[in-house]
Amino acid sequence: MTFESHGHVVPALDRVSLDVAAGEFLCIVGPSGSGKSTLLRVLAGLHRQSAGEVRIEAEHPGAPLTAMVFQEHALLPWRTVLDNVTFGLENRGVARAERDARAGDMLALVGLTRFARHYPHQLSGGMKQRVGIARALATDPEVLLMDEPLAALDAQTRTIMQEELLRIWATLGKTVIYVTHSLEEALLLGDRVVLLTARPGRVSRVFPVDLGRPRGLEIRASPAYGALLEKLWSELRDEVVRAMSEERSADAG
Amino acid sequence: MTRARRWFAEHWLAVASPAAVLLGWEWASAAGLLREAFFPRPSTVLVHLERLLADGTLWNHASVTLARIGWAFALAAVLGVAVGLAMGLWRRLRESLDPVFAVIYPIPSILFLPLVSFLVPAGEVVAVLTTAVTSFFLIAFTTTHGVRQIEPRVVEAAVHFGARGVRLFTTVLLPGALPFIFTGLRLGLGYALIVVVAVEIVAASRGLGALLWLSWQVLKVEDMYATFLVIALLGAVLSYGLAALRTRLLPWVQDVAER
Repeated sequence: MTFESHGHVVPALDRVSLDVAAGEFLCIVGPSGSGKSTLLRVLAGLHRQSAGEVRIEAEHPGAPLTAMVFQEHALLPWRTVLDNVTFGLENRGVARAERDARAGDMLALVGLTRFARHYPHQLSGGMKQRVGIARALATDPEVLLMDEPLAALDAQTRTIMQEELLRIWATLGKTVIYVTHSLEEALLLGDRVVLLTARPGRVSRVFPVDLGRPRGLEIRASPAYGALLEKLWSELRDEVVRAMSEERSADAG
Repeated sequence: MTRARRWFAEHWLAVASPAAVLLGWEWASAAGLLREAFFPRPSTVLVHLERLLADGTLWNHASVTLARIGWAFALAAVLGVAVGLAMGLWRRLRESLDPVFAVIYPIPSILFLPLVSFLVPAGEVVAVLTTAVTSFFLIAFTTTHGVRQIEPRVVEAAVHFGARGVRLFTTVLLPGALPFIFTGLRLGLGYALIVVVAVEIVAASRGLGALLWLSWQVLKVEDMYATFLVIALLGAVLSYGLAALRTRLLPWVQDVAER
């Protein structure tokens, strides 16, 4: 998969060019305003880029190219958990028996089988986001897009969910593009970490994460992890400082 | 039994406060603090209510009122929801109708009675149309707001997962607006009762409003209070009925009380 973009009118992104391999877990980090979310929205087809193109190789035609896990789950409150998960398939005209079976599999994968008949408001934040993940996976997309899916959760739930994500990804082998503002999360999850610059977002550097797989929270104790985190942070720090000083001068002017 | 007891344990004030008012009234009338000619004891009113029920007078009038409310509410609900949805979906329609609604809505409902009588021949139709006007506006307003308050990110997610056109409407926009539509229907039904009684006082010989007014004019004060009571109970039943229907039909709505 390849995407490139050249923005002009108050560019949010500029000359972003990335190749993502099938089955890769790619994390994108950057200071706020670096266009991380915009990039994901372009990939999801929610935003039309002013220039550039997105190419996704379809392995099985008929399935959608991308499916998004939204930052604050964005479930339909009037649908049960099961009906939220089948929603994408329903819109594609998949027969009821087939979509229920598929949704059942996905709910089992995220551990929510017992809650199929519940409504979103009856679930905790972490459970809602599991439904969001199951909803996206049910459509069997080529690329799973995740826009800071754990940002709204408390620290403990987030840690549990990170391990869950690793398990689900290992089970399905999907290509994942994952936006986060947490460097620790990016290192725990990603095969590579892309660092974007402050507005307009450009690819500042791409860090391969050579920490081995399968990976768990214990890697946080390894020296390689610490060194990589330090390197990532020192680069990101420069970008954050630059973004802040630009904001300040813009305020003054 | 346990369920009823638990309900009472939580809501005993809702029973106790009206009971206290009635007991206080009973005592004040009996003790001569209130003039019985104008404030008969509640127990006396109940006796008269029984008589009105037994001789068929009450049902004779109530059935007319109920039919008027039924027609007016059905009309207001169908048109109000349709217009409200359209206004919620299309900005241009909303912008052109908003000022018209803003001017018409605050007009006291009873003033539509002469206007409507200019347009249609006198009779039941006038009473029904006049009753429907304010309900229509209330239902249209809340429905429009119901569509507008749906979270954009929920709509965006639905579009991302392939909901377009009619499906977007039936799976997202309509269910998203339904809690507000129900609120509008509840308000509209309450208003229909208020207005129909007013219309009947002014311009009808049958109906609960007419009965109330007639009783007052011939100084059958007990009958007036009895009718009064029936109208109040009717309002409460209609309002709680719709609320219960909402809980049944929209199980996903978190009630303010439950939060």
